[in-house]
Amino acid sequence: MAAQNISSLSSPLRTFSSLRPGVSPSYRFTNFLFCSNLRPSLPFSSVILKPLRAARFRPLAVSAALKNLSESDLVAVPTDLQEVTVNFPSESGVYAVYDNNNDLQFIGISRNIAASVSGHRNSLPELCHYVKVGVVEEPDRSALTQAWKSWMEEHLRTTGNVPPGNQSGNSMWVPARQPATPRKKPDLRLTPGRHVQLTVPLEDLIHRLVKENRVVAFIKGSRSAPLCGFSQRVVGILESQEVDYESVDVLDEEYNYGLRETLKRYSNWPTFPQVFVDGELVGGCDILTSMHEKGELADLLKK
Amino acid sequence: MASRAATAMLSRAQRIKSNLQSALEASLLEIEDVSHQHASHAAVRASGSDGETHFNVKIVSTKFEGKSLVNRHRMVYDALADELQSGLHALSIVAKTPQEIAKK
Repeated sequence: MAAQNISSLSSPLRTFSSLRPGVSPSYRFTNFLFCSNLRPSLPFSSVILKPLRAARFRPLAVSAALKNLSESDLVAVPTDLQEVTVNFPSESGVYAVYDNNNDLQFIGISRNIAASVSGHRNSLPELCHYVKVGVVEEPDRSALTQAWKSWMEEHLRTTGNVPPGNQSGNSMWVPARQPATPRKKPDLRLTPGRHVQLTVPLEDLIHRLVKENRVVAFIKGSRSAPLCGFSQRVVGILESQEVDYESVDVLDEEYNYGLRETLKRYSNWPTFPQVFVDGELVGGCDILTSMHEKGELADLLKK
Repeated sequence: MASRAATAMLSRAQRIKSNLQSALEASLLEIEDVSHQHASHAAVRASGSDGETHFNVKIVSTKFEGKSLVNRHRMVYDALADELQSGLHALSIVAKTPQEIAKK
């Protein structure tokens, strides 16, 4: 579902159709590394600069399967969104959205074309009447990007215009149109930086933080990538409780310098992770796990 | 510092055991060294404490009666303050009273 602005379209690359016309089935694989959809910004330069030799080992199979934009069929978007998956594949590829005057509005790429179409139809019903779809075999990032570029360039060549939805500054098509995985909150930082002189003791900053935020987890690593198994488990438990919580990385030596020793004293608790609720230490991983299993944690957090 | 020399002869697991036994009068005390499960941990390698960094502790004591989980764990940590200062990195603690054990 990611889309790029035209500003990133550079250095036309039209050679891929000659790279490898047919790919034997044994080469086919599906790349789910990026979950169900791509993030909006793709590393363009890395695609362009990739030496051709690399392509020999990892064939870019856009070529054989992907039709030109003009050759692809225009498919009507059903009014009932439930039926979108009947008309459109839930696979990766490039797609072009047309309004009811058959004017091209937007070209995007997606890890799940049906879901993306459904999202567009939902948010921009008046601009999303027909869709052309090009499923990309072996949909790794570069293959998807190249498919998108080939359609964009074809449209540019034939009309001289960039689709309105792809023009820079147009963000109608790009924001989340389908329930993507919610982004994790950033970790809180206790100080403005290691070399900034604090005007209040770190202890006071900790105290304020745990009083002002209902649930605070002091963990090793960030909440999106905990660096310790116990911290990982605590994050997992809090996420499963669907509680709004703040996290602080005690290993962050730049923004939380000195936190580990100070927090140990503050909470009279020698290890991490540490979870605070309503300003009180609830405990570490063991206690949280045990409370979670007994359902006590849910009660505590509900209050 | 004769006593220190004597304790240094013991493994950390043994020291943990004797400290907890005397401080908490445990009626049941099990200690398991699980440091190997955390061998890749940066803190473990940095501690230079011969791998004795992570332990599972199961302890049953009447002293836990009427105490919250947090306070029970604090009692355990307090008894092991020296160890925590000298490279003990993490404890997994099960702290129960004799009654709680009997209920099961």
